[in-house]
Amino acid sequence: MDFNLSEEQLMLRDGVERYIRDDYGFEQRRHQATTGEGFNRDHWQTFAELGWLALTLPEDVGGLDCSFVEASVVLESFGRGMVLEPFISSVVLCSRIVDRSGSEYHRQDLLPALIEGRLLLALADSESGSRFTVGSIEQTLARRTADGYQLDGLKTLVFDAPSADKLLVTARLDDHSHPAVFVVDRTAPGVEVIEYALVDGTRAADVRFSQVNLPAAALLIDPSRSQPILEEASDRAALAVVAQSLGVMHGVMDMTAEYIKTRSQFGQPIGKFQALQHRMAEMFVEAQHTRSILYRGMAYLDKPAEERARAISAAKAATGKAGRFVCAQGVQLHGGIGMTEEYPVGHYFRFMTLLEKRFGDTDFHLARFAKGY
Amino acid sequence: MNFQFSPEDENFRQEVRQFFQESVSPEVAHFGYVGAHPPPRDVLRQWQKTLHARGWGAPHWPQEFGGTDWSPIRKHIFLEEMLNANGLDYGWQGTHMMAPVVIAFGNEWQQQTFLPPLLSGEVFWCQGFSEPNAGSDLASLKTRAELDENGTHYVVNGQKIWTSDATIADWGFFLVRTDSTVKPQRGISFLLIDMKSPGITVRPIISIDGGHGLTEVFLENVRVPKEQLVGEPGMGWTYAKYLLEKERTSSAFIYFNKRELEKAKVIARAELIDGVPLLETPVFARKVAEIEADILALEWSVLRILAKEELRDNLDAVVSTLKVRGSELQQRVTELQVDAMGPRALRFFSHDARQKDVSEEQGDLWPAHTLGRTNMYFFQRASTIYGGAREVQKNIIAKLAFGL
Repeated sequence: MDFNLSEEQLMLRDGVERYIRDDYGFEQRRHQATTGEGFNRDHWQTFAELGWLALTLPEDVGGLDCSFVEASVVLESFGRGMVLEPFISSVVLCSRIVDRSGSEYHRQDLLPALIEGRLLLALADSESGSRFTVGSIEQTLARRTADGYQLDGLKTLVFDAPSADKLLVTARLDDHSHPAVFVVDRTAPGVEVIEYALVDGTRAADVRFSQVNLPAAALLIDPSRSQPILEEASDRAALAVVAQSLGVMHGVMDMTAEYIKTRSQFGQPIGKFQALQHRMAEMFVEAQHTRSILYRGMAYLDKPAEERARAISAAKAATGKAGRFVCAQGVQLHGGIGMTEEYPVGHYFRFMTLLEKRFGDTDFHLARFAKGY
Repeated sequence: MNFQFSPEDENFRQEVRQFFQESVSPEVAHFGYVGAHPPPRDVLRQWQKTLHARGWGAPHWPQEFGGTDWSPIRKHIFLEEMLNANGLDYGWQGTHMMAPVVIAFGNEWQQQTFLPPLLSGEVFWCQGFSEPNAGSDLASLKTRAELDENGTHYVVNGQKIWTSDATIADWGFFLVRTDSTVKPQRGISFLLIDMKSPGITVRPIISIDGGHGLTEVFLENVRVPKEQLVGEPGMGWTYAKYLLEKERTSSAFIYFNKRELEKAKVIARAELIDGVPLLETPVFARKVAEIEADILALEWSVLRILAKEELRDNLDAVVSTLKVRGSELQQRVTELQVDAMGPRALRFFSHDARQKDVSEEQGDLWPAHTLGRTNMYFFQRASTIYGGAREVQKNIIAKLAFGL
């Protein structure tokens, strides 16, 4: 066993950390979140140029063929920086689905463009009432037509849909119990995107499909193969969220430690009070063990589906609890300033609220983990 | 990064597992399962002889002293497999505390005199560190050792407390004050004392679990040959700290935590609610899952330290997180067993009653898995107190990780 990053991985980490520190300031982020698309296309282009969009994809589509470790290194820093750009949707989740779809046409059509920063994808799967189930097709139906398919239905909470060029849409086909996955232009006739902001400043949408005509080639994955592919990609995305959460926790701890050393009450820095010191220690304990369960999750990514799912669930559940604790204490130790919109720690709390829910919340993952008993 | 055990280590695991399957006797397994403090002396001796015969009496010692040259990961696998097989993980005071100090700082006579009988199971040791007024604040200990007028013997006076297993120990290693004129940490020495020496009185302390493992040791003009002082006078504090650094991950009690979790599942499968195994009910399954996820995280925290991850955080602060989380899990996982047992948890088994399996006599009413669980739950209240109380660990983390 070896838990040390390679030279290349260390360089990657340094590069991402420097970028977040120097070029991704909180004030800019705060402004960006409430402006335009809610993120900055210039940042995205830089990510592409630095190769961060290519990390885990294979070489034949222009990828760098790295392990998930590299992705986790980037994601941890992105968590600390509360990065708004749709890295998880496009790079972790959708690119994985496309890469494993078995459709060479779509792989070559979509992935090189994605890697170069020219294409954004979003997964349109969840539906009203589906909560965290992957592969939801109660309300979305695809019919075969003479030259392809016609799509009708309603998806909700489609993360990063407003900015996506194409949507990967799950739909029922031929009464199959698992979804077919289609590639649909966001701007195609009959696609209605009802945009809204999420608690971290990023955007999502409800997406209505009304008699959307699709060519035969729009079918990315047929129902007989889709479910394991969707679940595997979602598990990876859940682990990506664990890595982001770890970055959040370290961001909160550093900020809070700094604050309680300078904030003075009762004639001394409040960091001198043992009650606060112990709270910081408890936060540190949570962050340490979060890193460990993240590593364990990575160790199980390529194991058989059931083992993988349980390991991811253990990681996501433990992280959901740990992240909430750390962020809540971060606000508490700051006192009043922690409640304000102009100060970062409250934004961490909001971001962590999103992370706890994405790709399954703590309750969902504890239940999935316990299925193995 | 490489997150997998090597094939060689996996083979090693199979070898160790097979050894324990073949060599853990029913008697040993009984005490391994129940966790009575302490197990009978003859059972301990026999177990140590079994390990020694295989060359594994003290795997963590250097090979020249009868140990192995296993990597930290292999030692980890060994202990994990031993506990899984309900082998006895007992007598650490001798093999893991006294011996490493004697190996690192003792002279040849001390090494030849004290190590072989420990390895072969002939001699058991106890540890005399804590005192009534020196618990978490160990440096304030008061037990004095003064050279007599001939300069051949130390004369020891004082009192130790919470000394585990002094009733069955032949020898003890003690932290004693040999110089009261210097800074408290500087005047402490590491002294080996024959527990049969005149002037030693051992009084068992009955703990809330009904166990007899803890004791008080009174030392009144105990004469100790000065050859039994290890290393340099005044260096005892340094040696004690060396021990902590040798055993960075043991405070996680990861093998205990994993094994007790499996016991909790066994109980929760056997206990029924309206005909359904407790473990299959959502509420209880969730409780188990929450604890298991934390144990898995802790296990990987241990592996990260054993594999020598280059940490960005302060190492000692990280090690303290093992103690904080590990000790809390010791309590949570034994509480889980008690909760799984429900009202059955309420029968109190005395120390004597735990010496044998009662299930054969009492049939289904008191299945074997119930024996000793509540006692263990009571005993684990100590886990957040001993070895540096949880609150002291948090002080350490706040200071070393954040400079508070």
